[in-house]
Amino acid sequence: MTNWLNENILWLIPAAPLLACLWIVLVGQVIGRKYAHRPLVLGLAVSLAASLYLLTVVVPHGFGHDEHESSHSVMTTVYQWIKIGTIDVPVTLRADAMSALMLTMVTSVSLLVAIFASSYMKGDPGYPRFFAAMSLFVFSMCMLVLAGNFLLLFVFWEAVGLCSYLLIGFWFHKPSAAAAAKKAFVVNRIGDFGLILGIFLIWQTFGTLDFAALFESPKLIDGILAGQPDILHWICILLFIGAVGKSAQFPLQVWLPDAMEGPTPVSALIHAATMVTAGVYLVARCTPFFVHAPYVQMTVAGIGAATALIAAITALTQYDLKRVLAYSTVSQLGYMFMSLGAAGGGEGLALHAVTFAMFHMFTHAFFKAVLFLSAGSVMHAMGDVIDMRRFSGLRKALPITHWTFLAGALALAGVPLLSGFWSKDEILAVLAAASREGEHAGFYGIILAIALLTSLMTAFYTFRAYFMTFWGEEKFPEEAGHHPHDAPPAMAVPLAILAVAALGIGLMTGPTHLYGHYLHHTPGLPHADEFPIDWLMMGISSILAAVGIGTAYQLYVVSPKIVENLQRRLSLAYQASQNGLYIDWFGYKFIAAPLRGLAAICEFVDRWVIDALVDCVGFIPGLFGSIIRPIQNGMVQNYAAVMMLGLVVCLISVLRVLVETH
Amino acid sequence: MPSLLVIMIFLPAIAAVALLLLDPQATAVRARWVALLATVATFLVSWGVAAQFLALPQVSETARGPVHPQLVQRHTWLDLSQAGPHSPGVKLEFFLGLDGISLSLVLLTTILTISSVLVSWTAIKDRAAQFYACLLILETGLIGVFCSFDILLFYVFFEFTLIPLFFLVGIWGGPLRRYAAGKFFVYTLAGSLITLLGLVSLVVTTVQANPGLTTPFSIPDLANTLAEHPLTPTVQFTLFLMIAAGFMVKVPLFPFHTWLPLAHVEAPTAGSVLLAGVLLKLGTYGFLRMLLPMLPDACLHTGLPLIGAMASIGIIYGSFCALSQNDIKKLVAYSSVAHLGFCMLGLFALNIEGISGGVLQMINHGLSTGALFCIVGMFYERYHTRQLNELGGLATKLPLMGVAMVFTSFASIGLPGLNGFVGEFLCLAGMFRAGDGQGVIFSALGAMGVVLGAWYLLGVVQHAFFGPVHLPAEHHGPGHEPIADLNAREVAALAPLLGLCLILGLFPQPLLDLIRPDVEAVAKLYGNVRATNPNAFMHASLNNHASQKNLPSVALGSEVRP
Repeated sequence: MTNWLNENILWLIPAAPLLACLWIVLVGQVIGRKYAHRPLVLGLAVSLAASLYLLTVVVPHGFGHDEHESSHSVMTTVYQWIKIGTIDVPVTLRADAMSALMLTMVTSVSLLVAIFASSYMKGDPGYPRFFAAMSLFVFSMCMLVLAGNFLLLFVFWEAVGLCSYLLIGFWFHKPSAAAAAKKAFVVNRIGDFGLILGIFLIWQTFGTLDFAALFESPKLIDGILAGQPDILHWICILLFIGAVGKSAQFPLQVWLPDAMEGPTPVSALIHAATMVTAGVYLVARCTPFFVHAPYVQMTVAGIGAATALIAAITALTQYDLKRVLAYSTVSQLGYMFMSLGAAGGGEGLALHAVTFAMFHMFTHAFFKAVLFLSAGSVMHAMGDVIDMRRFSGLRKALPITHWTFLAGALALAGVPLLSGFWSKDEILAVLAAASREGEHAGFYGIILAIALLTSLMTAFYTFRAYFMTFWGEEKFPEEAGHHPHDAPPAMAVPLAILAVAALGIGLMTGPTHLYGHYLHHTPGLPHADEFPIDWLMMGISSILAAVGIGTAYQLYVVSPKIVENLQRRLSLAYQASQNGLYIDWFGYKFIAAPLRGLAAICEFVDRWVIDALVDCVGFIPGLFGSIIRPIQNGMVQNYAAVMMLGLVVCLISVLRVLVETH
Repeated sequence: MPSLLVIMIFLPAIAAVALLLLDPQATAVRARWVALLATVATFLVSWGVAAQFLALPQVSETARGPVHPQLVQRHTWLDLSQAGPHSPGVKLEFFLGLDGISLSLVLLTTILTISSVLVSWTAIKDRAAQFYACLLILETGLIGVFCSFDILLFYVFFEFTLIPLFFLVGIWGGPLRRYAAGKFFVYTLAGSLITLLGLVSLVVTTVQANPGLTTPFSIPDLANTLAEHPLTPTVQFTLFLMIAAGFMVKVPLFPFHTWLPLAHVEAPTAGSVLLAGVLLKLGTYGFLRMLLPMLPDACLHTGLPLIGAMASIGIIYGSFCALSQNDIKKLVAYSSVAHLGFCMLGLFALNIEGISGGVLQMINHGLSTGALFCIVGMFYERYHTRQLNELGGLATKLPLMGVAMVFTSFASIGLPGLNGFVGEFLCLAGMFRAGDGQGVIFSALGAMGVVLGAWYLLGVVQHAFFGPVHLPAEHHGPGHEPIADLNAREVAALAPLLGLCLILGLFPQPLLDLIRPDVEAVAKLYGNVRATNPNAFMHASLNNHASQKNLPSVALGSEVRP
């Protein structure tokens, strides 16, 4: 049994949701539409169990820092997908410590979201369609994480994009949802453009796309480094462009806030906890490349910092609860990239930078999921109203939602001992370490400052949203009816579990180094010493969290008048923040619109230049004909005259010849 | 008893002749059933041929030349050596055969023709017998091109396809059908005549250099001879441009594409399906069959930069043109320009990856664009408009059609897991490592086209299929049934195409294995050329843009654009 499990555990994880998807599409559409969630929940339970088991398979004999050497991966090949010329891409599933951790996170959050959604989506005419798409998403996400080579990763990279498209556009009759779905897919494609070129370059440089061959032994990379070291910079920058698209980093972050048009469970799962972290996963996975490209790592940190700051500024003034959380997600993803980029700060930092980024991704998945699902629960109770100006004081009406949201908010704000605190603090620490030594210390100093500022803003906007929603006088919108109801059990239970995770999972796996030590078993990650605890950063971040929460309390509970004054005084800055620093507007005005203009020009040129030229050339024979045509005018007299003329010319020439010969 | 191959080629034509002679006044009902029976029979026969082909033993790599047809039917047609003491000792032949590449294209043709008959079922009411006869004759012509291995026979079939399509567009087309049909016919014919001149010159030059060659019109023999005794680079260059002229118009490559959107917009749905699905492939197939194996120097030193540039510009340009279209059919037509650009990028990568990608892209484009045209025809039949701004919320009104459209769009924009991706990926990957760095630029431009592809096609989905329902008023009253979702016939027309999109996306390997020996044989020529012939031809490739402009273009009839 154990042997069978060890060999087949890999394909079992993605196969369960895939079967669920097929079942729902083929059978669930017709029979038992109301129970379409059951195959998915069942499949995800199987997947989660398999993922947990996989954790023990990948790193079998307990683990600790001493056993670092025994790292290995598990692989299984399903079938040969493409093999022609020098391209050899089998469908290979490969799991190591990093994938196993990702899978556990993905399947556990998905399972809870699926249970939540079974109640949340009740009564929707597209109920089976929703669960079919969600099953397909979990399948794709698992495959993305399990992909054994770059091309397979790209396949599921795009496949999760497809699922995101289908789910953002779930209510496709809404024009805003239809537009948001297209925008998400197209903007993601811009990133994918970089990723596929990066994959071409890897194929051309190394002759293989296989993770095991590329990452598990440093031979290939060292060989290239000896010959053409610059090429790794190009590879890394192209891969990072892919990550920027998928993980909504500046300047491609514009799609994520719009993606909130989708049903809230989708926002929680895809646009907060799992899919958007694929970019972080990609960069972490390619650490063996990135360590040789310090300038790209600095770019990663810089983009991450810019994104975190911009998104946090935008989140300060949003009134749409889901949008606050969306910008917060963008901002936190920026944090993860800052952490990944910190690897450029020195030799020994790479491992820690990657670990802390992955750890923040892990904790973030839980506390952001609970925040989104609580927002969904609020929406459910408020009759799909999500504008925070239209409701307030909900803590009495929705006690469960209130507590779970509070748990998530505390974790996000970085209150000591909760999940967000541990992971965020580690990122700050590694940035601080990077800013202390090395040639780029100044650069990382600026990044650290931005990270601290963002941390303060995070605490503020999170609790602004919390206080606006749950405190103040009790107020319901008309859509809610008279007695808004709190989350039913199918929604409350996942919320509670996630809330507990948001509070405790950081403490369980962070300071105990459970997560970090496990992740270090990933083959290909560089070695490093133990990272010291940075008490200073812990202190500063705790203070910042307290200040942020305190300010929010002061402004939105104690004396809301101040906010109105501030809005009036700083109306320009307020408007800028409200509109996301006009980046979206800029994108439409200066990128999309000119391209549309170019398209119109192309259309014009095609019709009036290229085609006109063709018509002109086609006109020439006709023109030629029209010159000669008058001669053939059918007048017998003319013909006779020309005949006479010809005869005369002939006669003259004959006569001349005769004269000359005599 | 003629071989299955011959039956497959001529069965549709016989059915067409029978339909015209025995029952010229056939009602639409009778005619369409005859056509359906004939196309299904041809399809079955083509599978029989495929089974025969697959049962053949593998040919070893050393025993074959660059082109190696099997299931050969070879009969002397005209033996010039008997004509007199001074005549050249050459034979013209009736030379039919199949290799992996042509087999896959033949199967594509037989499948698409069934769909075209099904989508014409209710749309064609006037002169139905003639319509279906044209369609069947067109099928014969298309299959014939892919099965001919004699240059003249190839050319005869190649030009022959113009005639039925001319009538299909010119009689059953839209309001500008006569202008469109005339332009399409004259433009492609003018190009092809230069090609014919080039092909004959190629044969004559080869015979002069190798007097021992008695069958110079046979493509395999000619390719074998040229592989051993290549022509000089200058001669190759001239011949390349001449032969490429007709194929460039046919593909169509930018800037010779303007006949295509017009012809598509005016053509009836079945005509569009076959035009995009198969007829354009004649151009790419011509490049693959006539130029790549025959003129390796010119293909490498002129073809790669020239065609690469034209194709990558075509991808971007075609995508932009598609982006600003309001007529969905025209948009799909421009997307064809872009997709065929990928195909040409792959072919002229001149390596195994690229060429097989090019072949795959031919099949993929046939399936996905064929399906797109079917869907466009289906909602046009219901609402009598194809304008984006007059349509909205089709998916709410016709959910099944919405699913089909979303699926087809993703197949067309190259979503991994569906067929388009494998072809595009191989084309771009092949190009990426072709031609010392310039391939990278072409490949990057091509990859940009993938982004634009998502933009314009998902734009159609967004505006016409999603959003609130906003459709032209339905006609009520006698004779107008309420508008309903796809019926069984329409599902039958689409399902095979969509199913193949999925299967080829998930399991492309059988198809790749089918074409691999033929692709490898062609690519092998370039392995040698690259090693032995460094930059011998740089001046020609620099000058080729200038020469390109002098290409004789098209003469049109008296009709001008109204």
